Amino acid sequence: MTPDDPHDAVVVGSGAGGAMAAWMLTKAGASVLMLEAGRDYSPDESPMLNMAMDAPLRGVGTPDKEFGYYDATVDGGWNMPGEPYTMAEGSEFMWWRSRMLGGRTNHWARNSFRMGPYDFKPKTRDGLGYDWPVSYEDMAPWYDRTEKLVGVYGSNEGLENHPNSGPGVLQPPPKFRVWETFLKAGGDAINIPVVAARRAVLTKKIDERSPCYWASGCGRGCSIGAAFQTTTSLIPWAKKTGKLTIATGAMVRNVVLDASGKASGVIYIDKATGLEKQAKGRVVVLAASTGETARILFNSHVTGRSEGLANSSGQVGRNLMDTVGSSVSAYFPQLEGRPRYNEDGAMGLHAYIPFWDYKRIASGEVDTPRGYHVEIGGAFGDPGMGVGGGLDGYGASLRSDVKRRYGSRIGFTQRGEMIPNANSFCSIDTNTQDRFGIPVLKFNFAWSDHELKQVKHFQNSMKELIDKLGGTLVSEPDEPAKAISKGGEIIHEVGTARMGADAKDSVTNQFGKTWDVDNLYITDGSVFASKAHKNPTITIMALAMRSSDNIATRLRTGEL
Amino acid sequence: MTKDLITIDRRVTLKWLMGTLAVGQLAACGDGAKGISWPEMKAIEAAGIGKDPDFSNITVPWPLTMTAAELEITAELVDLILPGEGDIPSPSAVGVPAFINEWVSAPYPDQHKDRVLIINGLKWLDDESKIRNGVPFIRAEAAAQTAILDDIAFKDKVKEGLDKPAEFFGRMRSLTLGAFYTTREGWADIGYMGNTPGTGDYAGPTPEAAAHIKGVIEAMGLKYTPA
Ligand SMILES: Cc1cc2nc3c(=O)[nH]c(=O)nc-3n(C[C@H](O)[C@H](O)[C@H](O)COP(=O)(O)OP(=O)(O)OC[C@H]3O[C@@H](n4cnc5c(N)ncnc54)[C@H](O)[C@@H]3O)c2cc1C
Ligand code: SF4
Repeated sequence: MTPDDPHDAVVVGSGAGGAMAAWMLTKAGASVLMLEAGRDYSPDESPMLNMAMDAPLRGVGTPDKEFGYYDATVDGGWNMPGEPYTMAEGSEFMWWRSRMLGGRTNHWARNSFRMGPYDFKPKTRDGLGYDWPVSYEDMAPWYDRTEKLVGVYGSNEGLENHPNSGPGVLQPPPKFRVWETFLKAGGDAINIPVVAARRAVLTKKIDERSPCYWASGCGRGCSIGAAFQTTTSLIPWAKKTGKLTIATGAMVRNVVLDASGKASGVIYIDKATGLEKQAKGRVVVLAASTGETARILFNSHVTGRSEGLANSSGQVGRNLMDTVGSSVSAYFPQLEGRPRYNEDGAMGLHAYIPFWDYKRIASGEVDTPRGYHVEIGGAFGDPGMGVGGGLDGYGASLRSDVKRRYGSRIGFTQRGEMIPNANSFCSIDTNTQDRFGIPVLKFNFAWSDHELKQVKHFQNSMKELIDKLGGTLVSEPDEPAKAISKGGEIIHEVGTARMGADAKDSVTNQFGKTWDVDNLYITDGSVFASKAHKNPTITIMALAMRSSDNIATRLRTGEL
Repeated sequence: MTKDLITIDRRVTLKWLMGTLAVGQLAACGDGAKGISWPEMKAIEAAGIGKDPDFSNITVPWPLTMTAAELEITAELVDLILPGEGDIPSPSAVGVPAFINEWVSAPYPDQHKDRVLIINGLKWLDDESKIRNGVPFIRAEAAAQTAILDDIAFKDKVKEGLDKPAEFFGRMRSLTLGAFYTTREGWADIGYMGNTPGTGDYAGPTPEAAAHIKGVIEAMGLKYTPA
């Protein structure tokens, strides 16, 4: 079929949410048209084992490639020429986008922590935020199926609000490296857990995907298929069914409704020709990413209504959330001059610090309502352009300082829960259009005191851990209001079309079906009702899988 | 501060007046004890990397801008920063000066800042050497070269009035180390053993590395858990 033919489903976006929908629907026999604004892409393009010195400027970040020369991002970043967004006065919001098949799954860090029972019912627990229409028990089997399909390494630690996966679901985690073992020793002494991390990286072969070969940063893209990205998995699998049609360079502007108020398809700009085209389907699935999906809804005008499509609740654009981020780092004299060996490993977390202080939150001893986890980085990595940081002098003593210090610094980054607030949302900026003539988003963003207190908790806890291990801070952390990340900076933006139990205060039901339009679904991070400290993508995929199963059933029964 | 500054300036001025050197305009304004200014330079306008570079044909798209003379001092300086030692080559032997050229010629704001610092800094180094030693930096005796570096290379011991040259030196040190330790020779020197694909499970620490950390942890009175 061609993009001009009507399909059972039109899926907008090819990232985590879109590709999962396309795979689930094609697997169930439905024909799917996937519309992707970016160009076609495969990680076969990735120069995986190139050295930094093979790249301009040793591969450092530039305004063109902010995360470094080899980062897989195509035509994206914090700034996209011709595709701006705006910010309300006094607000700052950072929005990392890409324009490529597979979206940001091509270079995400693959950290994959499933949410726990507390995370789905935050309002019930402490009166803040909003409850999901699903419980952890509802989601558990979908997490198991997703983790198994995707391939996630990790271990089941049985920790509070950090649920185990089902038997046989997880792949074995890679061994701790020396500095992780060292941190664990300190953590054990003061009851801060240091346990195996979970990442969407294969340590055992599944299907045609090879296990990790322990080299090459996963942000470059993984052509051997070990690090999960939709371009080496869901998309090729969906293609194999013969049911998937992909149109790249297809920038969707709005959803089209028929006379009865049902979605009949979408309008997109074909970037190659500049022409407007219409794609037709029995069901429309939006997965253009948080923000973009809200933008499509806002830009879909409904006769007689001013608030955009699927927005009778007024919640589209609202409840914009990102992960709380801040960091500290320290030198550990005890790690200086340790014996060398290859510490590249899976080029990411083998260990991490899950949140441990729920009991003291419940008892009121801790003044921040929600938790965080800590992602840690150290190791004898590729020295890189930062290797001389903090050093002094020159000559033979400089060389010995470099070598002594190498591998003795550990960075700790907080990844925390944000509670939705009324000051954080996006809307349409009626004065600004992108190069396709499509009105752009305007962001409002503010943290609340809850998040700032959480930063303090993190800083104090890490100082205690560093102290226990005889480390010295590289620099004293700033006050929370300065130390906290900017909105969007952690690239875990979710919300803006939340799911809920009630059509009055949510945009979709528990299956991502918009309350207002029976055949319009959302399967990206927009539907998040809260932003737990767990990185969102594994949950985006588990929800997308569950919602797509619902769509497939309804297509089969003729309901759609 | 002012007192010292005057002393230095007087010495400089004297030498200058004595006509031993033609150092160019040592105007009595601007940063630095010698009154040499660090003029802003015009930003480079050239093609950058772009948002979708072709990884199968990697190129540095911008023209290189350093002069042969600047590259010569750069080579001298980077080799003083991290002299070769035994089998370990010097930075100039593994292309670090060419890298600095690539760096300061890049059409990006960070690199532009470094360009202003470095091009002016190289000039300062030469002028300073001419003033102190009567010869350009690369022709000065080793001891005369290090005497200048000793005034700018140590955070807590920067000679008064030499903050800007010290900033320049700090940047050169950082770029030199970064550029050197991202070469294969640099990897060998520091002991980076990665970027080597392997099969099977991740090997983890060597027995030696594991025994070492076990010792460290236990000496701290903490509990060691094997990987
Ligand atoms: C460097 C980095 C590290 C990260 N690390 C982690 C991590 O460790 N763990 C984690 O959970 N998450 C991580 N994330 C976040 C993760 O990448 C996102 O949560 C995830 O990719 C979101 O999936 P998505 O499908 O909503 O959007 P995307 O993956 O962004 O896909 C959306 C796709 O839709 C396309 N699109 C957008 N607008 C339109 C339009 N109008 N018409 C047609 N197509 C359109 C885009 O081009 C894109 O391809 C990271 C992100 C980055 C950038
Ligand atoms: S570290 Fe492993 S998973 Fe990551 S890119 Fe390399 S081979 Fe792939």
